[in-house]
Amino acid sequence: MATKLSLNNLHKSFGRGKANPIEVVQDFSLDIRDLEFLAVIGPSGCGKSTLLRLIDGLIPADSGSILMDGRDISNKVGGEGRGMVFQSFDLFPWRTTQANVEFGLETNGVPKSERTGIAKHYIDLVGLTGFEHSYPHELSGGMQQRAGFARALAIKPEILLMDEPFGALDVQTRDILQNELLDIWQKEKKTVLFVTHSIEEAIYLADRIAVITPRPARVDRIIDVPFERPRTEDIKSRPEFLEMRQEIWSILKEGIKV
Amino acid sequence: MTKSHILFLNVTGIVMFLLLWEVGGRIAGENLLAAPSIVVFEYIRLLFAGDMLRELVGSLRQMFVGFGLACAIGMPMGALMGRIRLVDALVHPWVSMVVVTSAAALAPIFILMFGTGFEFRVAIVFVSSFGYVTLTAYHGARGIDPKIIDVARSYSTGPVETYRKVILPALFPYLITGARLGLVHATRAMVMAEMFVLVGYGGLIFQTGQDLSTAPLISYLVTLMFVSVGANMGLGWIGRQLAPWYDSKMSAG
Repeated sequence: MATKLSLNNLHKSFGRGKANPIEVVQDFSLDIRDLEFLAVIGPSGCGKSTLLRLIDGLIPADSGSILMDGRDISNKVGGEGRGMVFQSFDLFPWRTTQANVEFGLETNGVPKSERTGIAKHYIDLVGLTGFEHSYPHELSGGMQQRAGFARALAIKPEILLMDEPFGALDVQTRDILQNELLDIWQKEKKTVLFVTHSIEEAIYLADRIAVITPRPARVDRIIDVPFERPRTEDIKSRPEFLEMRQEIWSILKEGIKV
Repeated sequence: MTKSHILFLNVTGIVMFLLLWEVGGRIAGENLLAAPSIVVFEYIRLLFAGDMLRELVGSLRQMFVGFGLACAIGMPMGALMGRIRLVDALVHPWVSMVVVTSAAALAPIFILMFGTGFEFRVAIVFVSSFGYVTLTAYHGARGIDPKIIDVARSYSTGPVETYRKVILPALFPYLITGARLGLVHATRAMVMAEMFVLVGYGGLIFQTGQDLSTAPLISYLVTLMFVSVGANMGLGWIGRQLAPWYDSKMSAG
């Protein structure tokens, strides 16, 4: 399968005044295949969020390169086929759902007449029909993140970057949104890079899982998830699922120092 | 405490104050401190006489020019100071100086520069409210959540658009607060400036101060107080109308 996004030898360290800088990402290489759902899993604080911010260009890498379909996007901030879904939703509180979803279209110069229709399409897709004119404070956390999805999808990204998008939600909402994400992913045909610290979530959603060792973040190994699609919740109780969860946990455990 | 409790206590406080004032007024006499029972009738008389409201409207009109200028310049400048370190370093000392300088101390030099007319009053109102408007916007701009700026960057929003579509709306509550603070100071400065040159509402107050009875003087002060409180509440109302999300901003997380 063709490679969509390729990360080559990324390095990132953060200065700490006069102390030695901390290496957060070191010699990180990973290829994300076209249209696959790749989960990146690692313990909290292992640098996986930093990794996503590097990929989106929000922070510059010290060295290494990021290629999208072979073209170098290492120094491009945002855009370039990347759509980001943020952990704490980060909707604009002064915009309604409709206006939040239109934001990326607006800054990309899509005319008003087209924006309305595109935004409406994605609002319907994520199940927020009827809440177009609500402000974020009038929506539950789950609904806010639905709007966050719609905002990212509206710019028709080639790759969707998701930074623990369900991390701030309760377990029930999380389960529902996982299923809906799978639905949407099947309909929209997108490459997804999904960062999480939940092993179950990674197995349930992904085609492949990159297990990250903490600080500096490096790929420990890549695990293929064999379950057929479309997936339903009953795979979570299959012996293979439990075995895989155990396997990943034992890899992660080695790297965690509490 | 429920809302009605608070309202009850508010009213009780005002009634107690009025009673004290009434007693004090009876003891001190009308030419030192007119009692509220006298002021009420004087107030109604002045309301119909026309001078009070005419001078007030004239003064407020000039004040709003100065205050409007302070907002038009101070708000974007405060926002730029809060976001761009170079601008901050360049103008912060000046803004601080304007805030700490008493407008009364500037009045004599402004009279020399602008005369005693329209420009003088506008200038005094401007310098007395500009600093509050600017510094409130500045603190708002510094406190903007960096995550929300990241969202803008992630959607490759240019600097001008980020300023217009993210920073300004995020600042909005601070702009309203700054305007409310600025307006209070603008009103004070207007009256003070007019007392220097004996025109407008301030002039009216100054000249009435020479009268035998204090009842008209107190009436003018009461009107001024109503105007300040009313304008302040009006700005708050405008803020809520323009930004329905503002009051519940905290619960949005």
